[in-house]
Amino acid sequence: MFETESRSIQLDQIDWNDTSCLITYGPLPHKLLLSIQTVGLIAPPLLQGKKNGLFRIVCGSRRLAACKKIGLDLSPCQVLPSFLEHQTCLRLAIYDNVAQRTLNPVEKSLVLAKMAKYLEEPQLVDEFMPVLDLEPSVTLFDRYLGLHDLEEMILDSLATGRLNERIGFVLAKQEKEDRLAYLRLFEELPFSVSVQEELVETVEDISRRENLTPQQVLSSKEVTTLRQAHESPARQRAQKIRKYLRDRCNPRLTARRERFAQETRQLGLPSGVRLVPPPYFEGPKWILECTFERAEELASRLRHMVLLADQPKLQTIMESASGVSSREVGN
Amino acid sequence: MVRGILASLPEIPVQWVDRFGEDRKSETSKTLEVARFRGRFVKACPGTRFYNCCGYQILNFANQCSLGCSYCILQVYFPNSNVRLFANFDDLLQQLDDHLRTSRRKVHRIGTGEFTDSLLLDHLTRASELLVPFFAKQPSAVLELKTKTSQVDLLEKLDHRGRTIVAWSLNPPEVIDREEGTASSLEERLAAARRCQDWGYRLAFHFDPLLAYPRWKGGYAEVVDRLFSVVDPGVVAWISLGSLRFMPPLKAIIKQDHRGSTILDEEFVPGLDGKLRYFRDLRVEMYSRLKDLLLKVAPDLCIYLCMESNDVWREALGFIPAERGGLSAILDQKVLELLD
Ligand code: SF4
Repeated sequence: MFETESRSIQLDQIDWNDTSCLITYGPLPHKLLLSIQTVGLIAPPLLQGKKNGLFRIVCGSRRLAACKKIGLDLSPCQVLPSFLEHQTCLRLAIYDNVAQRTLNPVEKSLVLAKMAKYLEEPQLVDEFMPVLDLEPSVTLFDRYLGLHDLEEMILDSLATGRLNERIGFVLAKQEKEDRLAYLRLFEELPFSVSVQEELVETVEDISRRENLTPQQVLSSKEVTTLRQAHESPARQRAQKIRKYLRDRCNPRLTARRERFAQETRQLGLPSGVRLVPPPYFEGPKWILECTFERAEELASRLRHMVLLADQPKLQTIMESASGVSSREVGN
Repeated sequence: MVRGILASLPEIPVQWVDRFGEDRKSETSKTLEVARFRGRFVKACPGTRFYNCCGYQILNFANQCSLGCSYCILQVYFPNSNVRLFANFDDLLQQLDDHLRTSRRKVHRIGTGEFTDSLLLDHLTRASELLVPFFAKQPSAVLELKTKTSQVDLLEKLDHRGRTIVAWSLNPPEVIDREEGTASSLEERLAAARRCQDWGYRLAFHFDPLLAYPRWKGGYAEVVDRLFSVVDPGVVAWISLGSLRFMPPLKAIIKQDHRGSTILDEEFVPGLDGKLRYFRDLRVEMYSRLKDLLLKVAPDLCIYLCMESNDVWREALGFIPAERGGLSAILDQKVLELLD
């Protein structure tokens, strides 16, 4: 352990621009302000003296920020010797924080990015990923490191939990304008995390095919109209946008579904009977659903169906648009 | 075999290791790993119950391939990008012999091109010199060597007795350029096929994966034209058609490692086996068109679909395999005709 010196430090003696040991990210908790206002600072922050006479914050940046915010100008602090290496101070900051709380994704990424200046990747993965409650995997390490360079708006959403880190990882691979466009959509409407992932993939597929950027897809007339249809509840708007994008991404499937719906209507199924195609029209198994209340009703619906089953119309419904091939193979 | 490989590569540094590291994918695979394989060399092809499987058997003497096709599923199967050769061919031939003697199957169609390209390393391993004569002695088994290379030199002098089928996967030149890494060009493949034909080999062709790119109709029509301007349809054992299908994790690999690829531009739906495929109507259209093109040139060709369900078979080819005893039986019958 290191000798520390207890001192009262003027807040204007603190180098607020030196964030080299800062690994906290996110808004000041209201309860912290309340606590300091009510009972004062219980745990003194840890500082290190700098050559320029100012002090670097090692631990307790939020506490000090809270003191500043409520107008205090003096704070009791512990001061580390100035000869202590920066890496040691950084470790102190990290271990102090993880001992007290779970870090948010931005903070985890800050820890890894800052320690990456001192340690090789394998050591970082082995020592710090478990400390951060993360699987010690290189892939995950790379993903967290990717969060570090994201825009403040996205970092804020990640730090406050409005955006899941899984989406952060996906957005980190996008261009700036595109990820901000996704962020605006995800903040605006209630999509689950897995639907957000699906949407990013769907929009990416559309952009590739239509030679547009994701941002252009998300600001297209159709999406904008759906987003702005404020007469519908947000959940409904989210569902409609998802459906619109899926349909646009799968034009063949959508056309087939529409054809199926139209042809089934023309077929004239008896009431209480439903024809269900295989998922994605893939595979040979179709389902006929029949609901009934009495035996006679069942019998009459089945009789009706037997007649329909003999009609070429039903066969057409089950076949692709290109129709049956003309020649057999001479195997 | 190892001595032979080392002798043919005198300049290449060699490292002896107890075990290989499962390293992350390297940028380019430059290391050939040579190992003793302790498992079963002969396995049934892992078809699924959802689609008609051809009943092929796999003879696995290497894992991974360095040709670098964007759609190659081996990128998902083997995270290590080095080709690993199993050099204990004595064990391989012994197992193969035991298998052929004890199996109750009447006919064996055995291929080496499932987990690697059959002829990729042939100039180093000279594996064909061991396998082709071995199969020449088998009464009811054929070996299918599937390749995208033109490395057939060693096949010229081998006594094959019609029991080795040399097969190429074919695609239009623009697809080969864009999607098939360092594989041979269409013309090189067809020239190699022609040489094999001249040496008396039976040939097979696999339009697999068929790719739906904007010009696919014209592109595949030209391939069929080129094929039969070089090769006699009478020596073709079979032609398979299979549209692009892949496990979902391959999508991310294609995006990351094959940036020039356009294969993800089409629409995909999950198939019954969980793989992503073209929408069935498009598959039916592609198969029907290819079938029509092929049969126009050679009405007696044996054409089959790889991993497709009965509804697609019926719509594309006009029948389902079960009506003719099943796909495996259809191909076995073809082998018996070839061996006559
Ligand atoms: S030739 Fe076959 S095995 Fe080799 S990379 Fe291409 S698809 Fe994969």
